[in-house]
Amino acid sequence: MPQLLMENIMKSYVIGNESIHAVNNASLEVNRGEFISIVGHSGSGKTTLLSIIGGIVKPTSGRVLFEGTDIYSFDSDRLSEYRCETIGFMFQFASLLPMLTVKENLMLPVVFKNGRRAGGADANERKAVELLGMVGLGDKINAYPSQLSGGQQRRVAIARAFMNDAEIILADEPTGDLDEETESDMMRLFKKVNEERRITFIMVTHNTDIAKQTRRQMRMSQGAIATL
Amino acid sequence: MTKEFTLLSLAVRNLKRKPLRTVILAVAIGLLVTALVFALSFIRRVDSSIKMTSDRLGADLLIVPTGSRGAAEDVLLENKAKSFYMDKGVIEKIRKVKGIDKMTYQTYLVTLSGLCCDVPESVVVAFNQDTDFVIKPWLTKKLGRRLRKGEAIVGSESAFNISVGLVDVDSVLFGNVFKMVGVLDKTGTGLDTALFIDESNIDDIIRKGKSSIQPGQISVVFAKVKKGLDPYKVAGEIEDSVIEVDTIARKDIGKNIINALRDINQIFAVTVTLASVLAAFLAWAVFSAIANERSREVGIMRAIGAKESHIVKLFILEVFIIGSLGSVLGIISGTALSLALAKSFTILKNISTDLGIVERSLIALSGLAIGTGVCIIGALSPVRKVKRLEPLVVIKGE
Ligand SMILES: Nc1ncnc2c1ncn2[C@@H]1O[C@H](COP(=O)(O)OP(=O)(O)O)[C@@H](O)[C@H]1O
Ligand SMILES: [Mg+2]
Repeated sequence: MPQLLMENIMKSYVIGNESIHAVNNASLEVNRGEFISIVGHSGSGKTTLLSIIGGIVKPTSGRVLFEGTDIYSFDSDRLSEYRCETIGFMFQFASLLPMLTVKENLMLPVVFKNGRRAGGADANERKAVELLGMVGLGDKINAYPSQLSGGQQRRVAIARAFMNDAEIILADEPTGDLDEETESDMMRLFKKVNEERRITFIMVTHNTDIAKQTRRQMRMSQGAIATL
Repeated sequence: MTKEFTLLSLAVRNLKRKPLRTVILAVAIGLLVTALVFALSFIRRVDSSIKMTSDRLGADLLIVPTGSRGAAEDVLLENKAKSFYMDKGVIEKIRKVKGIDKMTYQTYLVTLSGLCCDVPESVVVAFNQDTDFVIKPWLTKKLGRRLRKGEAIVGSESAFNISVGLVDVDSVLFGNVFKMVGVLDKTGTGLDTALFIDESNIDDIIRKGKSSIQPGQISVVFAKVKKGLDPYKVAGEIEDSVIEVDTIARKDIGKNIINALRDINQIFAVTVTLASVLAAFLAWAVFSAIANERSREVGIMRAIGAKESHIVKLFILEVFIIGSLGSVLGIISGTALSLALAKSFTILKNISTDLGIVERSLIALSGLAIGTGVCIIGALSPVRKVKRLEPLVVIKGE
C-alpha cells in the first residue's frame, strides 16, 4: 500500500463569476521514504496541492488516502491530529508566532500533541535545542522572531516541522529566501533525514538545480501535475 | 528541570502583549466585584446583626407603647438614644392574655450630656432584676451578683466605657451619683452602648427632676409565650385587649429597618447589574478585537495541529486569568471599602456586629464567581468565533 494516494484531486475557487481550478484532476502515488520535488510557475497550484495533502484545505473533489484512509473522512479532531503528528509543514511564508521565542515556537506543536512525547518537558526542550542547532540557530533559541532575518525565521519554521517526528514533510519553497550556502546546508539536512529515518519529503521549489538532486521530479502547470 | 511550556504559558504570554488593554478589562471586572462585595457586605451585616439581636433578646414578643415600634427598634438595633413610655399597669392587663409564659420590662432613660449627667448621650436601661431574662445572661457572668442601688454597669461598647476606660469610678446620672461596677459582655445588640441600673433607682431620679420620666412608667415589656403557641396569635390577642400597646414578634424585629433598606438593596442590585452588563460588554469588545488581531495566528496554530478545543482552551484561559485577577482585586477593594465606609453609614455605625470570616469568605467566593463569570459570558461569542476559524494556508506574507 502506498503511504499516500491522491485520486483525481480537484480544487476550485469561485471568484466573481469565474471559477479557478487551482488543482485540476491531480493524481499521485507516494511511497514511504520517497523524496519528491515539484516545480512549476507561480500560480500553478503547488501550494494548494501541498495544503490538500497536509489536511489543511479540503479538495472540491477527489480523495487523499493516507495509509488507505481518506483523511477528509476524519472528524475535525482526528484531522488536527493528522496535521499535528503525521505531517510536518514548512510554509511558504512567515508562520512563526511573534509572542513566542524561537524555542517556544518549536515547542508549540508538542503542546498540541498534548505533551505525549516520552521523557516530558525536558526531553521536548532538548529536542528543540538540538533541532535549532541542526539548522544553525543554536545561538538564537531565546530570540523572538522579530529579532531574526527572513532567512533565519525560515530555518526556525524548518526546524519546527521536525518537532513532532512527522512521517511526511511538506516543504513549500523552504529555501526561498536562503543564501546558496545555507540552502545547500538545508538540502543536506533534508536528504540525511530522508535517508536515515525514511521520512517522506514532498518539496516545492523554484530552483531546478535543487530539484535535480531529488530522485522523483514533478512539474505542475495550471493545476495539473506530471512527471518530469 | 525546566518549566514546561503549556497552553497556560501561551495564554500568559498573550496577556502581556497589550498589557494596558488587559489591565483595563481586569480593572473593570474589579470595579464590578467591588460594588458587589460592598453591597453584599452591607446587606449581610445588617441582616445578621438584626437576626443576632432578635435571638439574643431572648423574648418571643416585644410589647411597646402604641406607635413606638420604630423607636424601640432604633434603641435595640441601632443604639439610638430614644425614650418612649407607657403605664406600668399594662403588665397586669397583658398577664390576663392567655399564652404568656413570663414577662419582664425595662425603662429607657436618655442622658443629655452636661444637663443631667456627666456621661455622653446614651440610653440608661432601668430593669427589674427579679423578672429579668434579657440582661441576666450577660450580667451574672460578669458581676456574679445582683446590681445594687446606686450601682451601674456599662455596655461593652458604651461611649462611657470608651471614654473612661475603667470601672469602679463614680459618675453622675440624672443628678444621682452611680458607681460603675463593671462592663457587660458584648451582646451584639443595640444595648451594648447603654448603661444598666436597677429599677429601684428610678424614684430617686424622678425626685431630682432631671429626667422627663413620670412615676409608674415603663418603656418595653419582653414576653415569652408558652411552648407550642404561635407568637403571632398571642400578639394579636394582646393588641386586641390592651389598646395602649403595640407588639413586635421576634421574627419581625428589624422589619422596619429591612423595609427601609429595601430601596437601598434595589439600588445596589441595579448598580451591580449595570456594572455586570458594562463589564461583559467590555469583555466582548476586548476579545472581539483580540479575535480579529489573532485570526492569522489561530489559523497557523490550527495548520500545525491545534484542535478546536486547544484554541478554545487558550482563549478561555486568558479570559479566566483576567476575570479572576480582576475579581481578586475587587474582593480586596470591596472589603476594604466596606470596612472604611462602615463608619459613614449611620446604620452600620450603629449596629454592632461585624461579619465573621465565614461570611466574608462566602461573599468573596460569590465575588470571584460573578466577576469571572461575567468576563466569560462577555467573551463567549468572540471565543466561539475563533473556534470556527479554519486552518490557514500561509500563502501570503505578514
Ligand atoms: N484561498 C484562495 N482563494 C482564491 N483563490 C486561491 C486561493 N488560494 C489559491 N488560489 C488561487 O489558486 C491558484 C493556485 O495558487 P497556489 O496554489 O498558491 O499556486 P503556487 O503555490 O503554485 O504559486 C492561484 O491562481 C491562486 O490565486
Ligand atoms: Mg505557492
